[in-house]
Parts: sequence; C-alpha cells; structure tokens
Amino acid sequence: MPKRLAIVTSAIALMLAPAALVACGSDDGDSAAKPKSNGQAAQGETLEKGVTLTLWTMPNSPKPKEDLQKMVEPFTAKTGVKVDVQEVGWDVQFDRIRNAAVAGEGPDITQAGTTQVPFFAALGGFTDLTDRVEEIGGKGAYAEGIWNTTQVQGQDGTWAIPWFTEARSLYYRKDVLEKAGVDPATAFKDLESFKATLQAIKDKVPDIKPFGAPGKKAYDLVHQVMPFVWDQGGAELDEGATKSTINSAESQAGVQFMADLIPAGLFDKSQLERDGTQVENQFKGGRLAVWIGGPWVLGSIDRPEDDTWSDEARANVGVAPMPTGPSGKAYTFVGGSDLMVFKSSKHPAEAWALVKFLSEDQTQVDYAKLLGMFPARLDPQQQVGDSSENHKAFFEAIQTGRTYAPIPQWGQIENAYKTRFGNILDSAAGVGSDYNAATVKSQLDAAAKEADGLLAQSAG
Amino acid sequence: MAQTTLQPPPEASSARVLPSRAGRPRRRRNWFVYGLIAPAVAFMVLVHLIPTAGGVLLSFKRLNTFTFARLFDAPWSGLENYRGILFDTANPLHSGFFGAVQNTAFYTFWTVFGTLAGGLAIALLLNRPMRGQRLVRTLMLAPWIVPSFVVAVLWQFMWQSDVGIINKVLVDYTHILSDRPIWLLGENSMWAIIIPSVWRGLPFAMIFFLAGLQAMPPELHEAAAIDGAGPFRRFRYITLPLLRPLIAVQLLFCVIYATYQFAIPYIMLGTNPGPDADLMMTLIVRQSFSNNLFGFGAAASVLLTLAMCVWVAVWYRAFKRDLEVK
Repeated sequence: MPKRLAIVTSAIALMLAPAALVACGSDDGDSAAKPKSNGQAAQGETLEKGVTLTLWTMPNSPKPKEDLQKMVEPFTAKTGVKVDVQEVGWDVQFDRIRNAAVAGEGPDITQAGTTQVPFFAALGGFTDLTDRVEEIGGKGAYAEGIWNTTQVQGQDGTWAIPWFTEARSLYYRKDVLEKAGVDPATAFKDLESFKATLQAIKDKVPDIKPFGAPGKKAYDLVHQVMPFVWDQGGAELDEGATKSTINSAESQAGVQFMADLIPAGLFDKSQLERDGTQVENQFKGGRLAVWIGGPWVLGSIDRPEDDTWSDEARANVGVAPMPTGPSGKAYTFVGGSDLMVFKSSKHPAEAWALVKFLSEDQTQVDYAKLLGMFPARLDPQQQVGDSSENHKAFFEAIQTGRTYAPIPQWGQIENAYKTRFGNILDSAAGVGSDYNAATVKSQLDAAAKEADGLLAQSAG
Repeated sequence: MAQTTLQPPPEASSARVLPSRAGRPRRRRNWFVYGLIAPAVAFMVLVHLIPTAGGVLLSFKRLNTFTFARLFDAPWSGLENYRGILFDTANPLHSGFFGAVQNTAFYTFWTVFGTLAGGLAIALLLNRPMRGQRLVRTLMLAPWIVPSFVVAVLWQFMWQSDVGIINKVLVDYTHILSDRPIWLLGENSMWAIIIPSVWRGLPFAMIFFLAGLQAMPPELHEAAAIDGAGPFRRFRYITLPLLRPLIAVQLLFCVIYATYQFAIPYIMLGTNPGPDADLMMTLIVRQSFSNNLFGFGAAASVLLTLAMCVWVAVWYRAFKRDLEVK
C-alpha cells in the first residue's frame, strides 16, 4: 500500500505542475497596486553623490556589461553617482521588466525594445518623462518614427527616451551581383528589379542561394514581412489602431509578394527552419546572396574574432535601402531600444541625469559605434550615417522607417501575425496547406480575427 | 500465476502487530515520522499547492494586458475563460486549444509507445549474455545523461534540411530519398520532436526493464522451455506478466512527462511551433507569458491537470492490483 501511495503522490505532484506554472509568473500584485512613487524631481536638483543606480541592459554588444560600464565611467567621474550595470538576457527581459514594474521592485532604469514600451507603460510602473524631455532637446531631436516609440497611442505622456536605433536594409554580396551581371545601383531599386536581381543570381550564380529569411522561429519575422506590406499600401492596423487591416487586399499583396519568392526558387526555403541569428550566419557564411538585416552586422565585419564570416562574404558586403513599392516609397521597419525610468526608483533625479548623459551626442555616437547600431538622436545619427556608403543606406532607411502602432497590445498582435505569416511561408515552401491566394487570405483573415480580439481587451 | 514480488520477512510482519499496550509509543513514533516529513510537506505546500491554488484562482479572472498589474485583484470573470476555450468557436483560442489537444495526444501516444517498446526491446537484448555487455549498457545510457536542452539543440541541427546529417544520410549517402524533406516545418515537425523525445527517454525505460528482467528467476524460463514453450510464448506468458508492475509505473510517469513536455518542442521549434506541432505546454506558455493572456493560460492549465487526473484514475483502476505487495 505505501508503495502505491508513493507512486500516486508523485503522479499528483507532477500533474499539478502546469496549474502552478501560470501562478508563478509574477510577483505580488498588492505591491503593484500601490507602486512606490517618488514623484518627479525638480529641474536643477542637486545630485546625491555616492548613490548607486542600477541599470538593466540587454546583450547589445560582445561584452554588454563591461562595455556599458566603461561607457558610464565619465558620468560617475562627473557626478559622483555610481552605476551598477546588470545584464539581462533577451530571452528573459520581457518577464523581468514586467514583473519589476508590477512589483515596484526593480532597477532604476531599464533598456526596453521600442515595440515593448507601450505595454510596459500600461503597467503603471514607469515615470512619465514629459516634463523632462525639453532638457534633451525635445521630440525635435529625434526622427518622428523613433519618437513615436516613446508614446502610448491615445494617451498623454512620454514613457521612454530613445537610446539607439536600427532599421532593416538589404545586405547583398557585391561579387555575386557582379557575376550575375547586375548593377548594384539599380539592383534593388523597386520590387520588380529586386525580383529580377534574385532571378539573375539564381540563373547565373548557382552555387549560392539568391535570398533567405527566417520563418516563424524568428523573433523578427514580422519586421521582415511588413515592409513589403507597407510597400503595397497595406498596414497592420487601421489609423486609430482599433481594427486589424492585415487581411486587406493591399496587405495580402505584400505578404504574397514575399511568399511567392519561395515557389519561384528565389527564396531558399530551408532558411524557414532557422531563427534570425542562424539566417544572419548563413549570409555571413557565404550561403546567401541577399538578406534583410540590421546595422549591427556592419559593425561585425571589422571584428576579426567574429568567425561566422567567410572571407569572401566579409570582403564583399554591400547594403542597399529596401526596394520602392508601387506606392512610390521604400518602407522599412525601424526599431531599437529606449530607456525607461522606474517609478520605484529611489533616486529619480540621478536616474534622469544618467538618461541625459546617455542621450548626449558624443555618448550616443560612441555607444552606437560599439554596438554597430545607430544613435537615436538625429545629429549623431547623421554623423554615423556619413561614415561610409553602407552606413548611409541605413541612415536613409531610418529617416523613412516605419514602426507599429504604439499600443499596449502590439506585442500580442505581433505574435499572432508572426504565427500566420509563418504558416503562409511554410505553405509556400510546400510543407503546410496548399499554397494559393485562398490559403494566404484565410491565414490573414485568421490573423485579423485574432488581432481584433486582442484589440478588444479592456481593463474592465 | 505465482507472485514473485517481495515477500515481507516474517519478523517484519509480526512487528506490525504490536499489543495494544504499545499504543502510546506508536503514537510517539508517529509524531517522529510526522516530524521527519514535515519539512517536505511544508515545502510542497509552499512551492506546489499554493501556486496551484493561485493558478486555479487566476483561471476565473480576466487577466490580460490591461489587468496584469492587478494580478489577483483582476476582475472576476467566472467561467468565461473556460467557456471561451471549450465552446466559443468564434474565439481563435478555441481552435488553437483543440489543435493543441490533438497534437499533445498524438505526441504523447507515440512518445510513450516508442519509449516503452524501445526500452523493453533493448533491455531484452542486453539481458542476454554477451561480450562487452557492460560497455554497451553504459553507452546506451548516454542519451539519458544529456540534458533535454542539449538533446533538442543537437537534433535541431541534425534535422536541418540543407546541412543536417539526417538528410545527408537519406539523400546524399544512401539515396533513399531524392528530395530533401523539410523536417522542422509542417507535419514532419511533429515527428521531429517525437523521435528525440523517445531517444531521450529510452535509456531510463531500458534500465528499469533490465532491472526487472534480471530479478526474474531463470527457473521459470527454463521450466517453460523444457515444456516446449518457444521464445515468443515465454515472452508473452512469463516475461510480460512479471514485468506488468514495472510497465504500469513507467506508463504512468511517461504519459504525464510526455504530456507536460516543453523543453524539446520549445527549443527545436520555438514558441510558435505552428498548427502541426503546437502542444498544450507550448500553447499555455505562449499565451500566458508572451501574450499576457494569463486567465486563458490558467484555465487551459487547469483543464490539462484535470485531464491528467482522469488519466491517473483510469490508470489506477487498470493497474491497482499490480501495485499491491503480496
């Protein structure tokens, strides 16, 4: 009998695991209801020397903690305020920032992805910086798309300060284009020439795959697809962000443009099994001729310790802006990271002083160069853009870049779209439902339905 | 059939029937036992039962992006989460849930079948006298000591359609297939997670069955062989019945373990495994932690727990006799 009891008890303990799972996701709700607010420190308030600020950063550079710690040394020397830089992995940062905001116990400042800011702001655990932004030049110091990432649509308040920026552009192999007999100046001018270039590579350079993008495993699949949707005049949501428009005819045309590349043999379908970093490494390793990526890859070209580059690829990288669509504009996704100050910070004046320091032009240039990203502010952005032809392409992309509606539910909607875009690309690769316009439409209808349900969420 | 399971020694049996005068010492002894298990019980209550109760409570709350900060103070929604999951066909989570239920049942069936059948087959082979038996047995245990995370990463590389070793063998070396199948997408992705799961679980099942086989009195097989029973009949009428208690225990834990499997599908296929391989655990984790639909996630978790309760009840009825010490 005890043997039987032991087995059944163990089984019950195992069985209860998932029910316990969701309850373990967060910290005490009571403390969330009553966040410890220090209010906003008045301008010109003297800084308390000797205090230590905690700053959460994500793996932005090869040595994230050490690099940033070094970057803030002049701040400490000048103000006497110490900074404890703590690294939080991208895989856990969402949960940790959310839990810290809800619990009212966390660092003083955190880095947050630009599309995450509205959700974190909705939790109520962050300081509204509206009264402070003039001290760093106000919204005019930033590109419009970048500044929008600090807002929550339909609400007053500035919940973050842009820190560094990225946009997506087309990476290509100069030597492959030469072999294919395509002029790089016009190769990616518009959608037609983009397709024709891939076809030329397929026909004339058979030892390399023309193009590849990751599938639904990639965190940024939506960033890869949406530029084609925007090119065709489609959008992710309507203007008021009240309804999904991802199943409109224009949006469908955009998604289909990308998916059609697979059956045409222009898009290597095996890349769909990989995540974003793995596909990036495929380009760096010389197995893809064209790839959509961010500026951090440019930074890695000159780093000899990055052995994911093949010699040929490293020596022949070219960057071009995304192709122009029928609407006449070349859209791309613009993102990056912002800085948010926790309401629970015991040192709000010092925290703001650190945000100001990290927003100074020279700090922005130095840190962005270290990351291979772009500064968030316009002036230092221009400086980095002028540094090479490839950087110039990114600078232009940032100016015309687009981001998503700054609403708290965006992250969830992006997940819904990612699933459906992934299903469409899978079917185009011949591993899901039959690929045709009806399949694309039904997947986008399902995505829109799910998004509308998420938009209808309320606090009531 | 004679039971050959452990017989308690006579003195142990008599020790249990103490005269009534011993009531007080027995009570004292009981307190000693309670004292010993108290820390474990307190720990279980703290890390298991309280979070479970919290999870059940959250399943009745409208806990979403806008109410997350209020957590347990989120608005009460009664059975709305359950209704949405089970009956609201207009709710996209409804179809996602039933798809995940089907996938989980498929995954669990094949994983458990593969693990137990494979484990038993290998145990039977290793139970035969052979040279290097110990070495082979040790090597067979290798997948068990590899963490699930590493298993998933290894197999993810092996399955890759263009450079993975599996397609290299099937297409380039043996020419069994002419086209390179894509294993990590679509319908194939289910098998891409079942096979590593079986591979990971086989050694434990094998060692468990091997222990059972080695404890079996050889006289039974010898007598049956003298009576003219062939290997298959001896397996069917001697080995299998004697292994039944071990099979029962393995079955119970393998089903629960497979149903709650998360690491392998998550690492190999990501948070969005797609409609062909989305399991209950990936669905719950995705909807709860990525999409902030904690009310939905909690309700789905409770339903999954209830399903496992039903499974344990069925299992208990089917095997309770096998677990009794005679």
